[in-house]
Amino acid sequence: MSIRISNDPYDKRIDKGVANDFMRESIASAQGRFRSGKLAASEELGDWEDWRSLGEEIRTHTLNHLDYYLNQLTEQVEARGGNVFFAKDAAEANEYIKKVAQSKNAKKVVKSKSMVTEEIGLNKALAEVGADVVETDLGEWILQLDGDLPSHIVTPALHLNKEQIKDTFVKYRGYDSTSTPEDLALFARKQLREEFLAADIGITGCNFAIAESGTVTLVTNEGNARLSTTLPKTQISVMGMERIVPTWEEMEVLVSLLTRSAVGQKLTSYITAITGVRQEGETDGPEEYHLVIVDNGRSKILGTEFQSALHCIRCAACINACPVYRQIGGHAYGSIYPGPIGAVLTPLLDGYENHKELPYASTLCAACTDACPVKIPLHEHLVRHRENIVELGMAPKMEKVAMKGFVQWASHPAAYKLSSKLARTAMKPWTKDEKITDGPSILKEWTKERDFPAPPKETFRHWFKNRKEEK
Amino acid sequence: MATKEEFLNNIANELGRPRITAPVEKPVWRHQPQHAVLQGLSQDQLVEALQAQCAVGHTSVDVVPLAQLEATLDRILDGLQADSVIAADDRRNDEFGMTTYYEQLKNKMDMHIWKEEAGEENLRFAERARVGITFSDVTLAESGTVVLFMNEQMGRGISLLPHAHIAIVPKSTIVPRMTQAAQTVRGKLKGEGKVPSCVSFISGPSKSADIEMNLVVGVHGPVEVFYIVVDDQ
Amino acid sequence: MKVSLFITCMADIFAWQVGKATVELLEKYGCEVDFPEGQTCCGQPSYNSGYKKETIKSMKHMIDVFEDAEYIVGPSGSCVYMLREYEHILKDDPEYSEKAKKFSRKAYEITQFLYEVLEVRNIPSTFKGKVTYHPSCHMTRLLGVKEAPLRLLESIEGVDVVPLPQAEDCCGFGGTFAVKNAVISGRMVDEKAHHVEETEAEYLVGGDMACLMNIQGRLTREGKNVEVLHIVEILNQFSNEEVKK
Repeated sequence: MSIRISNDPYDKRIDKGVANDFMRESIASAQGRFRSGKLAASEELGDWEDWRSLGEEIRTHTLNHLDYYLNQLTEQVEARGGNVFFAKDAAEANEYIKKVAQSKNAKKVVKSKSMVTEEIGLNKALAEVGADVVETDLGEWILQLDGDLPSHIVTPALHLNKEQIKDTFVKYRGYDSTSTPEDLALFARKQLREEFLAADIGITGCNFAIAESGTVTLVTNEGNARLSTTLPKTQISVMGMERIVPTWEEMEVLVSLLTRSAVGQKLTSYITAITGVRQEGETDGPEEYHLVIVDNGRSKILGTEFQSALHCIRCAACINACPVYRQIGGHAYGSIYPGPIGAVLTPLLDGYENHKELPYASTLCAACTDACPVKIPLHEHLVRHRENIVELGMAPKMEKVAMKGFVQWASHPAAYKLSSKLARTAMKPWTKDEKITDGPSILKEWTKERDFPAPPKETFRHWFKNRKEEK
Repeated sequence: MATKEEFLNNIANELGRPRITAPVEKPVWRHQPQHAVLQGLSQDQLVEALQAQCAVGHTSVDVVPLAQLEATLDRILDGLQADSVIAADDRRNDEFGMTTYYEQLKNKMDMHIWKEEAGEENLRFAERARVGITFSDVTLAESGTVVLFMNEQMGRGISLLPHAHIAIVPKSTIVPRMTQAAQTVRGKLKGEGKVPSCVSFISGPSKSADIEMNLVVGVHGPVEVFYIVVDDQ
Repeated sequence: MKVSLFITCMADIFAWQVGKATVELLEKYGCEVDFPEGQTCCGQPSYNSGYKKETIKSMKHMIDVFEDAEYIVGPSGSCVYMLREYEHILKDDPEYSEKAKKFSRKAYEITQFLYEVLEVRNIPSTFKGKVTYHPSCHMTRLLGVKEAPLRLLESIEGVDVVPLPQAEDCCGFGGTFAVKNAVISGRMVDEKAHHVEETEAEYLVGGDMACLMNIQGRLTREGKNVEVLHIVEILNQFSNEEVKK
């Protein structure tokens, strides 16, 4: 897998999402829980707006000094016996990790949930050298068993119900118990514990790297990142190059923002901060440690009007707040990064060509911008994308004609006045009982879903003029 | 293959400036709300805050004087029907009477102290132990969290692999929140020149909400977690 | 106080009575209202679709039309927010940056103007009924007007305001979104209409004609018996004498 997860055209993906009633219901209920949890947890912190401002300040400063902090991180990791590899794209990252796997003669790799390893398609690359990658996050494991794809960046199996999950376990792992979440989870625990114990390499992502000490911080609830960094003799952490903070103090702030925004928890069950290889005398933890720092299109975003998109801490608050996501689900975005942040990030990382519809998959209601704990102006970025799409000549011709006409209309009062006067007459053929239920041309799209009002006999400016004259 | 220098030069280039080589002084952040959380509370009030959070965080808390630590441990181990225990070889074991307690436990069940010289046996034992016992190095009232600084006497596996984890929390280790813990770690970095190879912030049992958003306790890590707050002041 | 009315194209063409109520309300609170004839649309449909360069032409036209205005007041949170954006959009324009700044800073949504500038707290409207209020997205989240409309509604004796479930959710209008992504938009407005129905309110009230038109269209399509009103239509139901009391 890479960032693109579907070859279906946009419209087909949308239709599929909208038609999936179970998924839409489960997303609606999940969004409700996420939102109320986040609300409660952010209220408890005291001045949430100050926290967001601090988050934004930290991210802005760090990105503006990114080369410095990455260099510091590298020196610190190396001082602690780790290896650091800089990968300019997915291919370089995969090549390096494959070599590590080969040098260890690795047959089994356990991986804890990581978006960047999905983005670079790491599992497939490792399979090429005979290493079997086991996803150990419960949701990811469920998807992996059945060859399914994540639909949310925090709860990847949000689109599945427990019966479907049970069926998957029965089909692939001979499961013979009930479909209660407790039984399913207990089964996964037992199955996956075996995988952890047998693994040659543990792979993790990185929520925040800490430059001053060469530390990689992992945020989980299940504990799979802890197991991945405790049992295997070799550990590889893969990080998007922007996922870094200067010191432990900033890590602390961003973790607080992340856990509250993501799941409404003060902290998740585990925050695990790993620095290099095991120390002398220690008898668990990795003996060999690799940190892979991935660009893969990110550096192109630096210094542009989109730079703040790299502030993202992958909390999914924007996804949970998004009313469009609720209707279509994660797969419809055709990217491993769904929702508002996905609509902003995906075209930046993978180009407009395959994702030019995404910036329009938003009503610009700004619920995302409001929810973002590091103040990314998501809805404004979507408008910037639309400007670029127009500029590149990739917008539909019909729209271009309509918009140019609109601007002419809005710039010329005479034309505006005339048309507003004629609007009622023009609509007459389609009007019945002062409404239009099956309109012509673009109005047809509107009236498929709802009625359109017939313009009344009076216009405001006519009324105002008469009134003035009467006075 | 990109070298580090090429990679970082490219970043500087995209940012529209030369590479930064001189040390960067991070700014004094204009907003610092983190210091105000649970500020000015007494140690007893912090204990209350910790208990309140643990009550909603699926974590059992006992607050006892030192004299009752052993009885409390006995009770919890009984309740867990513990037949095997692994514990850290903590510098505080003597002070809290744990050295003799663990000696006595050996008569009742399989008991292993995590030690460098035990090598691989440490992990093997932890994997089959019913209970792992550690001290807490820093304890966060706000989130109900014990922070463990791993080292050769306290491996990562003790608090991770067994069915249950018991953390002995000296009352003096309780601070308002993660803010203070981060400062402690920075203090270690400045003082000792390095941070522990693994710092684990543990807030109760392992959890997942991956199946229909239902909270399930105990996926990969311990299913049951107990904190015993001991008055050491 | 002199106020220049910004009617918005939606209200101009589709809801003259909203303009009427806005004018009358302002007059009752002692404002002298004029209507600059040359005004057109705020430009949001094309601007939000990515046609920035083109839209700037109509924005400049609007700035010129309202050049002499003391206050610009309009019955739409979304359109007024767009007027406030002019300042940022034109910040580098040598000729218009200053003009745009002046223009943007005198633009107010009607309830915001009543509440913040005229400091109205109680409306002596005689309107009676059970209403539910839809806080439109741009008005609430972007213009930041959350309190004013609700406080004013609640101040009316005969009005019973019942909370709308998931009120903060977008109704699915989103300008061109409603036709460009009609399927998604349809689902969104369907959800909104259901929430409105759940409240068992007699009236759905809001401060943005576009959103109201969208929700109303769905309610009538479904044959629901909820009347849709712009907030000024409720606020305005009192005589000139009553305000002086």
